[in-house]
Amino acid sequence: MAVINMNREELEQIKNGDKPVLVDFWAPWCGYCRRIGPAFEKVAEEYGDRLAAAKIDIDEEPRLAEAEQVEVIPTLILYRNGKRAGSIVNPGSKAEIEQFIQEAMGW
Amino acid sequence: MGGSHIYDMIVVGGGPGGYTAALYAARAGLDTLVLEKLSAGGQMALTEAIENYPGFEDGIDGFTLAEKMQRQAERFGAGSEYAQVERMDLSASPKVLETSEGTFYARTVVLATGAGPRQLGLPGEAALTGRGVAYCAACDGMRYKDRTVVVVGGGNSAAADALLLSRIAGKVILVHRRDTLRATKVYHAPLMQAENLEFRWNSTVTELLHGDALTGVRLKDRNTGAETEVPCDGLFISIGRTPATEWAAGQLELDQNGYIRADETTKTSLPGVYAVGDVRTKPLRQVVTAVADGATAAHMAEEYLAEGV
Repeated sequence: MAVINMNREELEQIKNGDKPVLVDFWAPWCGYCRRIGPAFEKVAEEYGDRLAAAKIDIDEEPRLAEAEQVEVIPTLILYRNGKRAGSIVNPGSKAEIEQFIQEAMGW
Repeated sequence: MGGSHIYDMIVVGGGPGGYTAALYAARAGLDTLVLEKLSAGGQMALTEAIENYPGFEDGIDGFTLAEKMQRQAERFGAGSEYAQVERMDLSASPKVLETSEGTFYARTVVLATGAGPRQLGLPGEAALTGRGVAYCAACDGMRYKDRTVVVVGGGNSAAADALLLSRIAGKVILVHRRDTLRATKVYHAPLMQAENLEFRWNSTVTELLHGDALTGVRLKDRNTGAETEVPCDGLFISIGRTPATEWAAGQLELDQNGYIRADETTKTSLPGVYAVGDVRTKPLRQVVTAVADGATAAHMAEEYLAEGV
């Protein structure tokens, strides 16, 4: 499943769905965020049957970023049954993103 | 995913050297795969504007240039895999690469693992990275608008970072362990003219002061031994680079700084293994010298394969 750009309301809806949701908090000016982009897309594709993936631009949704205590970007947060199951800041490889998902989900 | 397939060439690292090796190899008809752990470009991907890569007279951002190099190599048949290499056996035949995406085999290997910023080696440095500690002014500078930042280092990149930050931050303090900069002359006048820039010569950072985030640094004067606490919001560490070769220990000849020993032919101490770009011993580490290495490595690999190994 492709990565969807979302706003706060859309995230609230999908968070409580059947699938866990992996959210990439990012901003267009953030070089590190651009760099994880391709690997994030690939993870979204490979795990598409088991989780949903979304991106949230923190400049568009500053209150959400604040509420989620996103101080450093890129931050990936994984939600399961509407609750936060874990987060990782600036992962250095696709493997690190996958390891984070597997640990947070117990897969 | 891996498998029993044997590639003619596997390139480890998708920076400019790696993708140029892949481009030349693919165009020479070699069955070529690039293993990249995150995204194309390596260090270049975090460079906002590359102004000295010929052909882009208005400059180009490093991420875009990297994507172009990747697409160019792929257009001629090179493959890419987002895989973190965990272990290599470069003496085996074929050579074996164990990765997060499975095991891969190749007749030749091009090592293009690059280099990364050198760390100060102080307690808390890793945990504070992104929370006040940074290694790239072009990437993280905007977060310190009107705040106070310390830059450590005395070379060209420290000088460039200090200048860039002086236009963003409220105050910049440049800390250098000597009493003069090693930076190229072109930086000196603008640095001296920057009104919000202060120099702390003969000084080193001895401690990172912090709560959840960085709050300041402790500096030590190398002449007097006097220590001072300097409150700051950001610390930009610009003290050079270190090659990504920890995996190579015991397999390949390295120099005293950890760079893979290879001359202009890019040949390493092992047959069929080539080192390109910043990871190789060389006098100038630039995008343009990395791509030159890539082309040479592909040529050498072609010769090696033609010998029928």
